[in-house]
Amino acid sequence: MTARPATLASRAHPFTPLVLTLCIAITALAAAGPLEAGVLYAVTVALAVISGVGRAALRALVPLAPLWFFLFLLHGVMGESPRIDVAGLALSEAGISLALAQAARLGAIATASLALSASFSPARFIDAAAERRWSFAASYLVVATLLALPRFRARAAAILDAQRSRGLRLRGGPLHRLRAIRPVTFPLLLGALAEVDERGFALETRCAAGVTARTPLAPPVDRPADRVVRWLAIGGAVCAMAWRVAG
Amino acid sequence: MSALLMEGVTFTYPGAGAPALRDCSFSAANGEVTWLTGALGAGTSTALLVAAGLAPRHTGGERSGQVRALGTDPAEGAAGLGGRVALVLSSPGAQLSGIAETVAQEVAFAPANLGWPATRIHAAVSHALDRMGVAHLAPRGPATLSGGELQRVVIASMLVLEPDLWLLDEPTSALDTTGRSLLHALLRSEAARGAAVVIASEDADGLHPAADRVLVFRQGRPVVEGAPDEVLRGDAIWAAGAGSTTVAALGRASGVASPRPLTVSEGVRRWAR
Amino acid sequence: MNARLLALVPAAIAINLVVGGLVNAVGLPLYLDSIGTILATVLAGPAVGMVVGAIGQLLFGLLYGYQWIPFGLIQLLIALLAGAAAARAGFRSTGRTVAWGLLTGALAGSLSAVISYILFKGVTATGTTAVVTLLRHLGWSLPAAVTASSLALDLVDKAVAFVLVGALVRSLPGRMLGRFPRAARALGR
Repeated sequence: MTARPATLASRAHPFTPLVLTLCIAITALAAAGPLEAGVLYAVTVALAVISGVGRAALRALVPLAPLWFFLFLLHGVMGESPRIDVAGLALSEAGISLALAQAARLGAIATASLALSASFSPARFIDAAAERRWSFAASYLVVATLLALPRFRARAAAILDAQRSRGLRLRGGPLHRLRAIRPVTFPLLLGALAEVDERGFALETRCAAGVTARTPLAPPVDRPADRVVRWLAIGGAVCAMAWRVAG
Repeated sequence: MSALLMEGVTFTYPGAGAPALRDCSFSAANGEVTWLTGALGAGTSTALLVAAGLAPRHTGGERSGQVRALGTDPAEGAAGLGGRVALVLSSPGAQLSGIAETVAQEVAFAPANLGWPATRIHAAVSHALDRMGVAHLAPRGPATLSGGELQRVVIASMLVLEPDLWLLDEPTSALDTTGRSLLHALLRSEAARGAAVVIASEDADGLHPAADRVLVFRQGRPVVEGAPDEVLRGDAIWAAGAGSTTVAALGRASGVASPRPLTVSEGVRRWAR
Repeated sequence: MNARLLALVPAAIAINLVVGGLVNAVGLPLYLDSIGTILATVLAGPAVGMVVGAIGQLLFGLLYGYQWIPFGLIQLLIALLAGAAAARAGFRSTGRTVAWGLLTGALAGSLSAVISYILFKGVTATGTTAVVTLLRHLGWSLPAAVTASSLALDLVDKAVAFVLVGALVRSLPGRMLGRFPRAARALGR
């Protein structure tokens, strides 16, 4: 990790983007129809852009595009009647509505997750947690897990490429595919265990397993604006859930 | 009182046929640099792991005999004894925290975990980085460093704790010549400060001026012990499977009898006529 | 919380979330989203496995839809069963591992069907629609068809997961196995 240019996201208190992402995810789940979900998606993208991580919204489109296509296919084409005419195709009206809602939900969640990982700073999070006297183990687990996900995903993709270039064929009957599981997963799992071994060693020798409260080195400033944003987000998510449950 | 004491220690790794340490006894005193050497598999690395308590606590396996590091048995209680014992391994990447964004944060990792006040940490970190010659790397990300730079950072991460007992396992493998001399000078100044330094290394050229005592390990125990100046000139060290300085090795290969010269200048004085 | 667990838990959670994607690439309709849970249980016990499973499922739900979060209960069940298997040298041979995997699949599948029914009145969008269509053609009712196909999938999924973890742990060098005494017991050594 190298120093990033200062954006709103990187200057905010570390808990703020986390709370925002969580609340967006919860609200997405509560958003019933295409209108609510669409508004949420738009708000998420806007927040990402304002915070200086607008690129995340674009990068989210990469995994989203095939998902959206599949959604429209599944619900639009194979949904129930009544059907309406869209550019010459007879698509299910209810299906399109469903697809739009789900697409917007997924869009909001994907954008929020990518925006979070673009602005996440493990050191600042640990400092923020240390300032609040959380146990180091708890904050380390959060940080290490969030850091491990993209790393493992990248390794998995690399392993798949490597095995394919070694001649692994991923087509064929179910038995053949079952046998392909091992060369595809083993390198990732073995690598993970070796890393676990090494990291455990390292943490022991660096006094990370103790019980003393960790010192915050450069405690991030928790501005009033941060707190307002967090409370608004939580309030919004709670209202959305309540509305969904009630309605 | 010795900072490190091992008496009759036998240690076997899990699943291993033979013990890695056999009835091993030695001690390391405060203010001294104790140098462990030996052929591959002689047990020097294992001795350090046992001294740090990581064997058997982290590695598994069986240990018998007595081990005392700074007065307590290191296998019980937290590793690092609250920062008073420092362990430096040969591969720098293996000791990183994994969550530091800058070198300064990496070096501050252990003191912060120990709850030191922030001002003390910042001062100690700058000091440690200066002494290791890597102050200019403070804002860099650890992933961008070369092997040698990373090793210096790892050593700085231990130096910052001002440990009472240093355990180093081939710490110079990733370092260049400047780095190596820096480390040897550091070991001497740490010993002068009163710490006990135990270093396992095959670098006889570098360590013979820096070490106070050398222990030659063979098959899990020290078999030759003495001042480096005497031990390196003789035949016993070769019989034990270890080596000596380059000049002594050259002398031995040329049929020169012991006591052999250790440095180039000694060799010149002896052979150039 | 010792240092080894601090290192193991994040990796096991990441494994739960990432391996499923790999398996997708192979084109099998399996989840394999409990490998991390089972591995953590074999190495460090069912309590750790449950933590891995619960947090992993929570993250999965946040990323892919909250409807998956209640299925965290299944991860807890898997951890308990894997723990039982590990305590009885259940990973000693492929045969025993498959048996334990099938047992876990049966129980997990049943629990999954119950949760599905309570939450969604029986229908979730999974890769079992082909089997469901077939069964309906044979005259089965929709809930029965969905339950049966989901159960079958769980049987295969957990059996494969158990076998994979067993093979992995068996292939570990003695020194590494020594760091995790529970794993040695799981292998019957």
